[in-house]
Amino acid sequence: MSKKVLVVDDDQDVRSFVVTVLEENQYIPLVAQDGIEGFEMIEKEKPDLVILDVLMPRGSGIRLYRKLKTDENLNQIPIIMFTGIALRSFLKSQKALDEFKGGEIPMPDIYLEKPVGPEELVAAIKKKIG
Amino acid sequence: MSANKILIVDDEEIIVRLLSMSLRSDGYETLSAYNGEQGLEVFKSESPDIVVTDIKMPGMDGLELLKKIKQIDVEKEVIIVTGHGDIDSTITALQYGASDFINKPVRDEALAIALERAKAKIDIREKLKEYTENLEVKIAEATEDIRRKSNFQRLLIRSSNDAIVAFDHDWKVVVYNPEAAKMFGEAAKDVRNIMTIDDLYTPKIAQIFKNQAKKEKKQSALPWRENTINAKDGRKIPVRYTSNVLYKEGNFVGTVSFFQDLTEIKRLETELVQSERLAAVGQTVSGLAHYVKNILIGLQGGSYVVDVGIAKNNTEKLKIGWQTIKRNIKRIGDLTQDLLTYSKQREPESEPCLPNDIADDVIELVTDVAGLNGVDISKEFDNSIGEVMADSQTIHRSLLNLINNAIDACVEDENVAKKHKVTVKSYRDKNNHFCFEVEDNGCGMDKDIQKQLFDPMFSSKGGKGTGLGLLVTSKLIEEHKGVIETKTSPGSGSTFTIKLPYEKAN
Repeated sequence: MSKKVLVVDDDQDVRSFVVTVLEENQYIPLVAQDGIEGFEMIEKEKPDLVILDVLMPRGSGIRLYRKLKTDENLNQIPIIMFTGIALRSFLKSQKALDEFKGGEIPMPDIYLEKPVGPEELVAAIKKKIG
Repeated sequence: MSANKILIVDDEEIIVRLLSMSLRSDGYETLSAYNGEQGLEVFKSESPDIVVTDIKMPGMDGLELLKKIKQIDVEKEVIIVTGHGDIDSTITALQYGASDFINKPVRDEALAIALERAKAKIDIREKLKEYTENLEVKIAEATEDIRRKSNFQRLLIRSSNDAIVAFDHDWKVVVYNPEAAKMFGEAAKDVRNIMTIDDLYTPKIAQIFKNQAKKEKKQSALPWRENTINAKDGRKIPVRYTSNVLYKEGNFVGTVSFFQDLTEIKRLETELVQSERLAAVGQTVSGLAHYVKNILIGLQGGSYVVDVGIAKNNTEKLKIGWQTIKRNIKRIGDLTQDLLTYSKQREPESEPCLPNDIADDVIELVTDVAGLNGVDISKEFDNSIGEVMADSQTIHRSLLNLINNAIDACVEDENVAKKHKVTVKSYRDKNNHFCFEVEDNGCGMDKDIQKQLFDPMFSSKGGKGTGLGLLVTSKLIEEHKGVIETKTSPGSGSTFTIKLPYEKAN
């Protein structure tokens, strides 16, 4: 059975690109435009993988990422961070949040810095869910 | 100095001796002579302060001696000693300038009184002389001082870097320094005492000065103002000026005005603004790189989708991919336009246009995007604005930027329950502006964002903003001699207002 992959990105261009890549590689694409909609979709659809943007209105990717990782029912879903933000800036913000909120959130499984070609994206997805 | 030396002249030796003794015992220094000739000799050699002389003497008598003494020195006091009833001699003596009379036989008391009087006269005369001399010196000093001060003032006015022009109470030019001649281009000889304020100044400035003179009763200066004056050769000179109304004993006597030529300063300011702007574009590059990268991502993604569409003969995919590409081409176009607008000096082109119609066009452009994002756009236009002289491009670009920002602020708002709306209002204010107010009930801005609002490269939209929008807007509005105002509160929205000079089109 085909696996469900959710892409959460506020940029319409990115969504249509990722959706096309997923379709071309026999995954079932799901889309959400922001962090809030993304979380609702995850709870409802229980996707096999989430491709997550960092900077978004209404609940950033950073917030959604932490929410998923601290949720017992959802923390096993693999996440690919897919963003224009440099990994260093992302890690820095995570570290600051760890210190601020206490506890340590595991780092994302895969972190892709845009621009990313279709082959690279597919390789990353395959690595996680086959 | 006190008069102390007394010459006693009498042909009766005993009287001379008695008087001398008596006077010496009073502390005077005495000299003696026994006839008129001898008296005159002693007077010439010893120069006594007071002469006491008998009137009747053989040879040169007292009157003759008196006459001679007065010829030599009119200020010497001569006391005449007369016999009883010698009225004629007394009168003659008075005519000759005798200071006092004592009757024979001379009593010490009477002599003492006469001497005191004579001394007092001498004292007064000396003091008077002293005062007079002092007065002359003082007047000479004061005159010199005034001359120096007036020279200094003349020099000051002549060499001043400000153009100084003063008018008398009939508004005729009375002071017109070389700098003024340079500025106004009229030679001093054609202006001073010939021209009036209306010949020299533009009607507007002349009126300001006249009003000031009418209004004020106490001497005070106008605050410095800026204006443009017309030189004789037709040059328009930007100036800074002030004036002072002059009063003498409460009456208006004239006005003095000071002008500073701002041509050079204005030129430097323009240069500075220009170079700052270029520097800002340089700074913006790092922020821009991010934005350009996003466009590139869009284009790459779009071409991938198009490729898939071609390979699979899938029109839907082709359409989606092509739209992505077109959107990103437009983003490049907008960016280029922003950069050009921002880095180039551009004079607004004043032309008849209908601001409300322009705003309508802009709203139509953004309605789709707003609708997709669940933002309602409404308008409240003041129809009395009508047709004005203005740069339509400035209005269009500024409104587009502000309305797009307002929509973005609604999209960014985390309160999804809120019914988001953007209201565009037009109105005229009492300072002769026509204004557009763009109000949203989106996320608002905190202090940090407000501070950086007009900074180049600053964007609160992550990689989705160029950081140029408000910068370009404020530049356009400034070039149009307008103002841009901001009101905001985090969580409840922002209002941006642009105010442009209202000039009705004919």
